[in-house]
Amino acid sequence: MTITGAQLDALTEIFNIGAGRAASSLSDIVGDEVLLSVPRVEFYRAHEVNANVLSLSSARLGSVKQKFRGPFNLTASLLFTEERALEIVQEMLGSQVQKEDLVEYEQEAMCEVGNIILNACLSAMADMLGISFESTLPEYSSAAPDLVIERLVLDADNPLLLVLHFNMLIEKRRSQGTLIFWLSSSSLQELMLHLEQFLSRI
Amino acid sequence: MDHPSPKSVLIVDDSRVSRMLIKSLILAQFPHWTLTEAVSGDEALALAAARSFDYCTMDINMPGLPGTEAAEQLLKMQPTVRVALFSADIQESQQVRAAQLGVRFVAKPVTQKSVALALAYFQG
Amino acid sequence: MEPEELDGGASWPLILDAVGLGLVLVDADARVLLWNAWLARHSGVSAQAARGKPLAAVFGTGLSASFVAALSNALRYRLPVVLSNVLHFCPLPLYAQTPADAATDRMPHAITMTPLVLPPWGACCLIQITDSSRAISRERVLQRQSDRLNREVMTDSLTRAFSRGFFDHFYQQEFARAQRKGIKLSLIMIDVDYFKDYNDAYGHPAGDKVLIAVVQALQAVLLRSTDKLARYGGEEFVVILPDCGEHKALAIAELLRAAVLALNLPHRKSGISNQLTVTLGVSTLKAGQTSSAQALLDAADQALYAAKSQGRNCVQRRSPQTVPAPA
Repeated sequence: MTITGAQLDALTEIFNIGAGRAASSLSDIVGDEVLLSVPRVEFYRAHEVNANVLSLSSARLGSVKQKFRGPFNLTASLLFTEERALEIVQEMLGSQVQKEDLVEYEQEAMCEVGNIILNACLSAMADMLGISFESTLPEYSSAAPDLVIERLVLDADNPLLLVLHFNMLIEKRRSQGTLIFWLSSSSLQELMLHLEQFLSRI
Repeated sequence: MDHPSPKSVLIVDDSRVSRMLIKSLILAQFPHWTLTEAVSGDEALALAAARSFDYCTMDINMPGLPGTEAAEQLLKMQPTVRVALFSADIQESQQVRAAQLGVRFVAKPVTQKSVALALAYFQG
Repeated sequence: MEPEELDGGASWPLILDAVGLGLVLVDADARVLLWNAWLARHSGVSAQAARGKPLAAVFGTGLSASFVAALSNALRYRLPVVLSNVLHFCPLPLYAQTPADAATDRMPHAITMTPLVLPPWGACCLIQITDSSRAISRERVLQRQSDRLNREVMTDSLTRAFSRGFFDHFYQQEFARAQRKGIKLSLIMIDVDYFKDYNDAYGHPAGDKVLIAVVQALQAVLLRSTDKLARYGGEEFVVILPDCGEHKALAIAELLRAAVLALNLPHRKSGISNQLTVTLGVSTLKAGQTSSAQALLDAADQALYAAKSQGRNCVQRRSPQTVPAPA
C-alpha cells in the first residue's frame, strides 16, 4: 500500500487541527499557554518499530489508549516515557507539588492529558471527513518499552502503522519533548479508503 | 440574471488539501471569481504587493510568518481587503479582538460550513 | 430474565440511588434529567431541585471553567471525557459531610463524562462522580494534601463567601486567562461602611451576623456562575466578573449597593446614615488591553477610596494602567 502526497497532506492537516484543539483545552487547565505541534506524520511497517526508532528510550513507557468506533474502527494510543510524563505533570501542577508525590499523580494526570489529545485528534478527523465516532474511556498502562510496543504491534492486523510525534511546550519556558500518537487500525486500509474518497470529492 | 463583478480571493494555507478544498467550495458558488494561492504568509504578502485582492482566507498555523501577523500586515497594505482567519480552535471571545483587527475567525477544518461562514463575512 | 423485564423498570431508580457514586444525566443542552441520591447527599441539592435545570444553575457557587469546557466538548464531539482530581481541584462543590457542617471540607473527586443516545431524550451525557479521598492512600501524601487544603481554604468559614486564599489563586488564573484571550475582566471592591463602629455599638457577635447577612444579599445579586464573591479582609469583599465590561460591572455594583440598603439593618453609629451601607469601587480590564493583575486590583482599590471620599454608600470607577507585556 502506498501513501500519496495528498493523503499525507490531509493527515497532517487533521492532526494539526487536533493539536490546536488539544492545546486550547490544556491551556485552560494549566492557566497558561500550552503549544502543541505536529512536526511529522510517519508510516512504519510493524517489524520496523522499536523503542529506539520512536525515540522512546526509557525504563518505563506509559500509554493511554482509546478504541474508536464509527464507519471504520481505530485504536489510538498516546505513548510517553516516564520522564516526559513526570515533566508534564509537574509543569501542569505548578511548583507547589513535591517531586516525590508526582509519581502518585502521573497515572491519573496522563490519563486525562491522553484523553484530551486523543479526543482532539479523532474529532478533527471526524469533522474533516464528515463522519462521527464513539469511543471507549481512556485506558492507562505502563510497562517496559519493548513489552508495550510488542502489545501494540500485535493489536494491529495490518502490517502498516501510523505514527506521529507531538511537540508540547508549556508556559514558554520549560523543556519541550515528544509524545507519540500511534494509530493502529483493525484496518488502516479502511481509514486510507475513506481519506481517498474524501479527497476524490474535492 | 444579474452578475455582480467577480471578486479576487487570496487563499493562504500550507496544506495543499485545504487550499484545494477552499478553492473548489468557493468556485462551486462563484465560478467567475479569480482565486490565487499562496503557501505561506511571506508568499501572500509578496503577491499582495503586486496586486490587490477583495478577500483573503488565511490559515493561522503555518511555518514561518504566523497567519495573524501576515493578516495584520496584509491589512496595512490593503485596508479594504476582508480577511477570514482559519484556526483550529475558536473562542467566541476572540471574535471581539478579531473585529478590532478587521478580520473574522473561522473554525477549521475546511468544510462547506466553514467556507460558507467566511463567504458570509466577505459579502456581508 | 433481561434487566428491562425486572419489576417493569421500577427497580432502576432504587438501584441508581443505592449506587456508591454520583450519577447525573444531562440532555444536549446540559439540563439535568436524572440526579441520584449519592449526589443529593454530597451536594446538598435534592433531585427535585436539580431536575430540569441547566447544570450550571444547580449549584450556588457555580462550576469551574474546566468542567464547563469539558462538558461542552463531550456534548459537541460525543467522545468520553475524564476530569482527574489531580489536574482539577474539586470542579464541583461537593462535601464529605452535608454542607451544613464542615463548610471547608470539600470532597476531592474525579469525573467521567460519557455521551449516550437514549430513546426518550436523544443525545445525552452521563456524568459519573467518584470520591477520590480514598485514592490518596499514602499517609505522607494525605498529610500534604490536607496541608494544601488548609492553606488554600476555599471558603470563608463565617460568611461562606470564597476565602482570601481562594481569591488570590483564582484571580491570578482569571487575569492570565483574560490577557491570553484578549477579553474583558471586571473587579468590584466592597467595603462595609463604619463596620468598626458597628461592632463597638452592637458587639462583635452582632457584627458577625451582619456580615453573613450582607454576603447573602450580595450573593443573591450575582446570578452568573462564573462571577465569584470573596472575603478580602475583615469587612472588605471583592467580586471577580470574568468577561464583563465596565457598563455592566457598574450596573451590578449599583445593584449590590441597593441590595445591602434593602436589608434595612439599623446602624446608629454610622456617620452618614441610620442604617448599614456599603461603598464600592469598580475597575475593568478592557478587551485586548495589556495590564497586570496588580494594576487592576490597585485601580479597584483606588476607586473604592474615591467612593469613600465622595461620602460613602456609592459607586466609583477607575481604569487600570496599561502595563507593557513582560518580555
